[in-house]
Amino acid sequence: MTDESDRAAAQSGDPHDPAAISRRRFLSTVGAGVGAAATIGGISGYALASEREATATAPISTTVPFFGPHQAGVTTPAQAHMAFVSFDVMPTADRGEVEALLATWTTAAAAMCAGEPVGTTDEGARLAPPEDTGEAVGLPAAALTVTFGMGPSLFTGELGRRLGLQDRRPGSLIDLPPFPGDVLDPRRSDGDLGIQVCAEDPQVVMHAVRNLVRIGRGTVLARWIQQGFIPATHDETPRNLMGFKDGTNNPDIASDAAMDAAVWVPQEERQAWMRGGTYLVFRRIRILVEFWDRTILDEQERTIGRHKGSGAPMGAAAEFDPLPLEAKDADGEPAIPIDAHVRLAAPAMNRGATMLRRGYSFADGLDPVTGEIDAGLLFLAFQQHPETQFVRVQNALAGVDALNEYIKHVGSAIFAVPGGIAPGASVGDALFA
Amino acid sequence: MAVAGALILSACGSNDDPQAGEGENADEQIQVVAVQLTDQGCSPTTAEAAAGPTTFEATTDRTDEPELEILDGDLLLGEVANLAPGLTGTFSLTLEPGEYQMRCGRHSDPVTGTLTVTGGVGADTSEAADAAVETYRTFALGQTKILIARTQEFADAVLAGDIAEAKDLFAYAREPYERIEPIAEAFGDLDPAIDAREGDVPEAKWTGFHRIEKALWVDEDLTGMAPVAKKLVADVRLLQELTRQVDLEPAQVANGASELLGEVANSKITGEEDRYSHTDLWDFEANVEGSKAAFDAVKPLIPADQAALVAEIEAGFVDAVAVLDPYRKGDGFVLYTDLTEQDTTSLAQTIDTLAEPLSQVAAIVVAP
Repeated sequence: MTDESDRAAAQSGDPHDPAAISRRRFLSTVGAGVGAAATIGGISGYALASEREATATAPISTTVPFFGPHQAGVTTPAQAHMAFVSFDVMPTADRGEVEALLATWTTAAAAMCAGEPVGTTDEGARLAPPEDTGEAVGLPAAALTVTFGMGPSLFTGELGRRLGLQDRRPGSLIDLPPFPGDVLDPRRSDGDLGIQVCAEDPQVVMHAVRNLVRIGRGTVLARWIQQGFIPATHDETPRNLMGFKDGTNNPDIASDAAMDAAVWVPQEERQAWMRGGTYLVFRRIRILVEFWDRTILDEQERTIGRHKGSGAPMGAAAEFDPLPLEAKDADGEPAIPIDAHVRLAAPAMNRGATMLRRGYSFADGLDPVTGEIDAGLLFLAFQQHPETQFVRVQNALAGVDALNEYIKHVGSAIFAVPGGIAPGASVGDALFA
Repeated sequence: MAVAGALILSACGSNDDPQAGEGENADEQIQVVAVQLTDQGCSPTTAEAAAGPTTFEATTDRTDEPELEILDGDLLLGEVANLAPGLTGTFSLTLEPGEYQMRCGRHSDPVTGTLTVTGGVGADTSEAADAAVETYRTFALGQTKILIARTQEFADAVLAGDIAEAKDLFAYAREPYERIEPIAEAFGDLDPAIDAREGDVPEAKWTGFHRIEKALWVDEDLTGMAPVAKKLVADVRLLQELTRQVDLEPAQVANGASELLGEVANSKITGEEDRYSHTDLWDFEANVEGSKAAFDAVKPLIPADQAALVAEIEAGFVDAVAVLDPYRKGDGFVLYTDLTEQDTTSLAQTIDTLAEPLSQVAAIVVAP
């Protein structure tokens, strides 16, 4: 099949063409989605009106509303499974195709988040591939969220001109600077578009990823996919693969004031499409687990600045105690060592900089060079202004953090996450308006 | 290079990990002092122990996560913090004869207990520990001496603008440094000044071996390298002075042995250390040799019932040297770029196999 006939097929076939996946059909299913989700899994009616009501231990049948003043998947309590897909826009794609793809993705995402398939499953023509890939049939929505973002490269260079988006790049969407110690792999970094997919069921995550990639064929190519996980039980701060609680000092996702202060882009933003949005910084941080696991406990705790068991800061008693940055131990040395990770990353040490971290662990088999376990932390942090939040903190950490001996930053990306989506609208509407 | 201080250690137990108490691997001869942390403070209020290795076992019914601290005046000798009701927190110390204080509660609470340590085996134990530390210090000082001489040769070639000679001397000059790197890491900025790789520190502050390495192999131009070479010589001299003075404990020496193997696995086998010259295998061998010397120094402190562990570690060192044999060439080694993924995996796995038992040694030599 030639490229041209491919494209012709795409225009008449369903997954590629927003006109072919009927918006109306999608919206009608979305409307019934919550109830459908509750019965598909054979679980009696349980649905949540608001993501804020989702408890720390989200039942597998939870449905997180896709539409709202902000995109879901940011202040949503972290689900157990995550996949991040980064896309590059194809050299052949024009403005109309990208705009149409965002509309189709929006419709598909809304359906999947409601526990519905993308288009038909087994009721289509027998001689055509099913529209939906099928592996989520019978599964509840599992608190699925799909969060869309745009990378700096969408607005710059030849692509920015082709899409007519040169004047739409928000000032806060910076190119991340190189940091001391970075060993970034371009195959695990950057991207024109990025989608974060989270759910309580890994199969629901994969179903969404696969359908979004498939829908994107002809317009975008997946550049990299990174999967992550946290413990299935969410009743305490999750431990990362270093065995330490990670995220204790996060701002409170239940507090609108805290989120408005640190995460959401205010209404005064010049780029209207980013109002109510946020910026996502993604870092794939390899943990040298073999080395770490051989490190004596005392050194581990001094590296992090917290007690491994309780999560309490060194020199304090309980996990959520404030960091005693001024406290001295019996030798007159700082209770939290001067190069400990929690000290260097603390808002008090970074002119108040704080971010909403939504970290996941990853485990990607063995490193082909060393045969060691390729595992670590996916640092995903949402913030208003990366330059004074992530960049400021990372500059404080890079080069001096005691933790640097045990980790390597191997992937990096930044995305502008547009504001919330109203029913019937597309995540790209304001951007392309 | 590695970034963190590797030689920091204080006796500190854990209340949730039974493997973590420093004395756990030693035999039953270690005396146990049990202390209850009550609302009134220590129970008993006076405890006695014989000099030598001692394991403290703290229990509590308090819910405010109290701690047991053993103090010598203002000096904290050891503690278990954040103890939860129903759990036993342990840590081990090697006690000298004397009077000590016990704090049983929150850090802000007053001292409510005394510990009297008499006679015993303390003196012998301490002598053996001192001997181990001095054995290692002698080794490390010897290496700094070689380092100064070789670095001077290397610097002279750089100052003379002799690129070929400087290239020849690069890996050779680094060897003694790579044998004792954890020592340098204990001195703040010294390790980065000598051994930072490009990107580890801001460009303007980048000095040391790897700065010159880039000039030799990438730029093939030594312009501007004279001050870097002179500073490098000054820095390795400073390292010798600091090595003479540094306060060491056997557990730190043992931990340094482990750290060196971490260096091998994380930067040499990946080719990141000598990214322009590709002489990583020279560093690999030097790290292993340095690790072996540190282990040999503390080996006399390992109790006889740990003979199987010692044998496993010694066999591991033999393997870690032998695994390099296929890659020897002339006085040195093939370049990193000649290695296949099969080669690097085999090298890394040999190091990891040795490093795992070696990581057990620090806890054992605290309380021999």
